[in-house]
Amino acid sequence: MEGERKMREGGREEGKVKIGSCVSTRGGAGRDHSAPSRRLSSQHLSGSLTSSATGEPSDQSDLGGAKMKGLFKSKPRTPSDLVRQTRDLFLYAHGSISLPDSKRDEKMAELSRNIRDMKSILYGNSEAEPVAEACAQLTQEFFREDTLRLLITCLPKLNLETRKDATQVVANLQRQQVNSKLIASDYLEANLDLMDVLIEGFENTDLALHYGAMFRECIRHQIVAKYVLESEHVKKFFDYIQLPNFDIAADAAATFKELLTRHKSTVAEFLTNNEDWFFADYNSKLLESSNYITRRQAIKLLGDILLDRSNSAVMTKYVSSRDNLRILMNLLRESSKSIQIEAFHVFKLFVANQKKPADIVNILVANRSKLLRLLADLKPDKEDERFEADKSQVLREIAALEPQDLA
Amino acid sequence: MARNKLEFPLDAEAYEIICKIGVGVSASVYKAVCIPMNSTVVAIKAIDLDQSRADFDSLRRETKTMSLLSHPNILNAYCSFTVDRCLWVVMPFMSCGSLHSIVSSSFPEGLPENCISVFLKETLNAISYLHDQGHLHRDIKAGNILVDSDGSVKLADFGVSASIYEPVTTSSGTTSSSLRLTDIAGTPYWMAPEVVHSHTGYGFKADIWSFGITALELAHGRPPLSHLPPLKSLLMKITKRFHFADYEINTSGCGKKKFSKAFREMVGLCLEQDPAKRPSAEKLLKHPFFRNCKGVDFVVKNVLHGLSNTEQMFIESQVLIKGVEDDEDDDEEIVKNRRISGWNFREDDLQLSPVFPTTESDTSKFSPREVDPIQDKPEGDKVVITGSEVCLGLSNRNEEAKEQEGEVCGFDRDLVLEKLKLLKKSLEHQRARVLVIIEALSGEKEERNREEELLEMVEKLKIELEAEKMKTLRAEKESVLS
Repeated sequence: MEGERKMREGGREEGKVKIGSCVSTRGGAGRDHSAPSRRLSSQHLSGSLTSSATGEPSDQSDLGGAKMKGLFKSKPRTPSDLVRQTRDLFLYAHGSISLPDSKRDEKMAELSRNIRDMKSILYGNSEAEPVAEACAQLTQEFFREDTLRLLITCLPKLNLETRKDATQVVANLQRQQVNSKLIASDYLEANLDLMDVLIEGFENTDLALHYGAMFRECIRHQIVAKYVLESEHVKKFFDYIQLPNFDIAADAAATFKELLTRHKSTVAEFLTNNEDWFFADYNSKLLESSNYITRRQAIKLLGDILLDRSNSAVMTKYVSSRDNLRILMNLLRESSKSIQIEAFHVFKLFVANQKKPADIVNILVANRSKLLRLLADLKPDKEDERFEADKSQVLREIAALEPQDLA
Repeated sequence: MARNKLEFPLDAEAYEIICKIGVGVSASVYKAVCIPMNSTVVAIKAIDLDQSRADFDSLRRETKTMSLLSHPNILNAYCSFTVDRCLWVVMPFMSCGSLHSIVSSSFPEGLPENCISVFLKETLNAISYLHDQGHLHRDIKAGNILVDSDGSVKLADFGVSASIYEPVTTSSGTTSSSLRLTDIAGTPYWMAPEVVHSHTGYGFKADIWSFGITALELAHGRPPLSHLPPLKSLLMKITKRFHFADYEINTSGCGKKKFSKAFREMVGLCLEQDPAKRPSAEKLLKHPFFRNCKGVDFVVKNVLHGLSNTEQMFIESQVLIKGVEDDEDDDEEIVKNRRISGWNFREDDLQLSPVFPTTESDTSKFSPREVDPIQDKPEGDKVVITGSEVCLGLSNRNEEAKEQEGEVCGFDRDLVLEKLKLLKKSLEHQRARVLVIIEALSGEKEERNREEELLEMVEKLKIELEAEKMKTLRAEKESVLS
């Protein structure tokens, strides 16, 4: 409730910041917004003015804009105006308001311009740095209503350039703080189903890179990452990262990695609860994939996960499994040195485990001479002291093992 | 708009390799046909993934950039997919190769001005689009400008390009700082002074500088300062003792060729020391020099007609590699090879021939899945000033660097020192690599004088010492930690 009230208060203030030359003419209205006005370049301003001139917003009700109307030829647009207009235009794009084709094209062009204007407010442009207050206002208005949902559902209707702009806008909004709060996170928490829409994007070549980028930005929020991890979606990544199209597969892999490494406590909780199926799938679908790049990325990520302190409980369990050991030993024998090296970083955990189960010990003993030979020859291209130290320790450890009776 | 792209098959079987047309450190470029697409001719860049770092982040960015850009003057990818350990990037085939190869094979003294303007205008269109998209190319040079037989001109190679919209992965802090970049990237001769030394970072204007250098390259047949070793050219920019604008006027004044005032002025604008004074790409397009620019038909008739095609150039260059004596002064060939721009193969003065020796003696049977035997370490994509330092006259260069080091005091010493250290490190790294290659080939290489050998020895020892120091340092740290 508290937050909501704050937001409304913020909303009332929003009329103060103008993206337009009027700011200076209002001079003395307050120190807080005279600063941004000085920093906004005239080019930036004229950009926003032209687009506002072409499409009058349907609602002109609130804000000080009405007050100013008599004074200026074209109504200056605040960042909130811009967002509101854009929202209206989305409705045309969406098709919920029908229009003749020529008129529609016009609206779509205007929509493209608006999204571009939003981008230059958020990122700045070649002439001006972004203004914190304008960004805050835009962010607030954007999430006050369901703009993100409209944007996501309309994305397929936009042209390539506008899609890219829209994606960058969404990415930026995830990081904007209003009153030191990430309001994007609150919005998404209430609209988690949007993640279901975004993830579908991986299956559509045309949209994948845009939806994929938005998806990755959204899981920066812990609450969103948690939702995705606990949903069925997480399973889809095992397939997405093996899609034939490299752009999309690599994007999915980057997202998968982010999901499993970014929010430590969430990841640890997820892994603990889903250990069985997750690692079974991880082994069979990724580590034993016929696809080189899949194996390569999977073994690297596995190392990252298991070596993370917050996952130590999961790690201990992982390195006590015979099946896992067998897979890792196969990866050690790969002809790709990169894979061998990464596999070593996981393999060493099996050996270093002070409470090795008897069957693990026996496998290591049975393969002792082969392992010693293989490891002795294994060297990274670049000299790596750490690696050498680890290796000699592993070698010593294996050499000293005694066969054990299976209980 | 996004949909008008034809869908190229994501399957190696659909393509038939015709021949190899270029080779780099961790990639090769092939001419191929796509059978199900009416046997459309394509270029395939096959990148050896085993040499890339495991997160493939830079590759992911590069291919993503290539597939999301859409402009007639930009070479983008039709598609990319993995074939065993290689990443195949399928692109349009540009049959005339790069402007660099055209110039060095047929116009060693430079192109006529009315042709230069055509090529530059097309390139500038691409730069303007890129900048509008928030991308910096960071490696603009004739070697990265490709030409097709119909006269279409495309800017290629986004290996080091950067996007200001690419999120900065550090804290959740301000995004505004992302408008400036700070890492050093590019190829020395073409690099803007602020890329080399600025503390405030650099922006789009760095590309404008490189564009200006490219203009000179087309006019004279080579970039300015190329008589100097690349490191020295960097230092000259750092110390600001050398003004490019002056250079331009001088050489065109006393040279045999006369360039128009508009051209000289345009280049002068691009080569302003102060980035803020350089015009944006969009503005530059309106410069009088481009006003009465001829169409691409003009260059088709006057430049492209009668050029030997890309694959021929490559075959010739491969033959040449064997016979050519090392020649001091042109390092950029190596730069090309390392940055894999693919089509620059008229390398009659290629000097570091041992780098790519005997990998192919017959041009008929190349398998892109095969990894070339002589290749080095994974940093390939990431080392950015890389390459250009590799050259056999290296030992002198170090000394030159030291001399220069003395001269730069008083001028933001710490910063320059820091950059120099970086350069030195890169240099040493390169040197180590070259040594390995030289060793491997020492049977073939005859005359290396004693002094050089000694210097190499010293260098080797230095590297060992460095490693030893690191070791002790780390050991110390560890002991402290434990």
